[in-house]
Amino acid sequence: MGLLFCFLGAISFGLLGSVLKAAERRKANAAGLVVATFAWPALIMLVKTLLLKSGGRIPTKVYVIAVIFGICAAVASLAFQVSISIGKVTVGWLMMNLSAGVPVVVSIWMYREKLTPLKIVAFGLVLVSIFFLSWGQVIEKRATASTPAKGE
Amino acid sequence: MWFLLMLVILLTNGMSSFGLKMIAGWGLPTTVKYPYLTAWYAGGLAAIALPMLLKGLRVGKTELLWGAVAGMLSIGGQIAMAVALSSGVPGHVVFPIAIGGSIFVVALAGRLVFGERMNTPTALGVALGFAAVILLGVS
Repeated sequence: MGLLFCFLGAISFGLLGSVLKAAERRKANAAGLVVATFAWPALIMLVKTLLLKSGGRIPTKVYVIAVIFGICAAVASLAFQVSISIGKVTVGWLMMNLSAGVPVVVSIWMYREKLTPLKIVAFGLVLVSIFFLSWGQVIEKRATASTPAKGE
Repeated sequence: MWFLLMLVILLTNGMSSFGLKMIAGWGLPTTVKYPYLTAWYAGGLAAIALPMLLKGLRVGKTELLWGAVAGMLSIGGQIAMAVALSSGVPGHVVFPIAIGGSIFVVALAGRLVFGERMNTPTALGVALGFAAVILLGVS
């Protein structure tokens, strides 16, 4: 049963990336789309919070941290939405997920977490992957530049 | 422009989930995640909405509709992962399947629905990145 939900999660997140690309194809404004994408969950989470029985005072630093990292998420979403109008949705979505390596690096530095051989291999693959993705983008850009525009 | 956007995505999206890890180490009740996520979404919303308002831009019907669908899918994915984790499936199984699977779905849609073709280096980069994401999830 648990595994079924893993796959449902995969389909849900995959459809999310595809829906954002579909919105871009329908000329949805990138910033407006990010605002709407954040507004609905914010509303739902607010209702959920208000329905919670108060379990004591929440330290201000929790809200400060939340706002800082929420801004990071919004900037990332906006960058992703703009990137899929000039590049491939698969590459943008992959980059969103490759970013999972960043908190792992920060945790190793901040919390002295162990750098396992598996993590070293994963980081190596991230770097090689970014190299190939950049190379592919350069080739594509050159090909686009050398293709004469219609009517020429 | 594309390289700059990729760098911004890599750094900002990577750090966006780090707050939950930070507050997890503060020994607060688990219900703190709801006010945390409310402030998280509200902070992100304000960061984009305020400059839009200052420029006199408005969110149209198209954005509201597609944004609602995207928001629901985002929450749906989170809930599905939370249910999988709470039903006893370990994190090193849940994250690679959910994240790796989502890349597979997007790649499939990119090819079949949006007609995106990849050159050899890009295809290699996607394949290696897919493997990296799985390894990061497992580790």
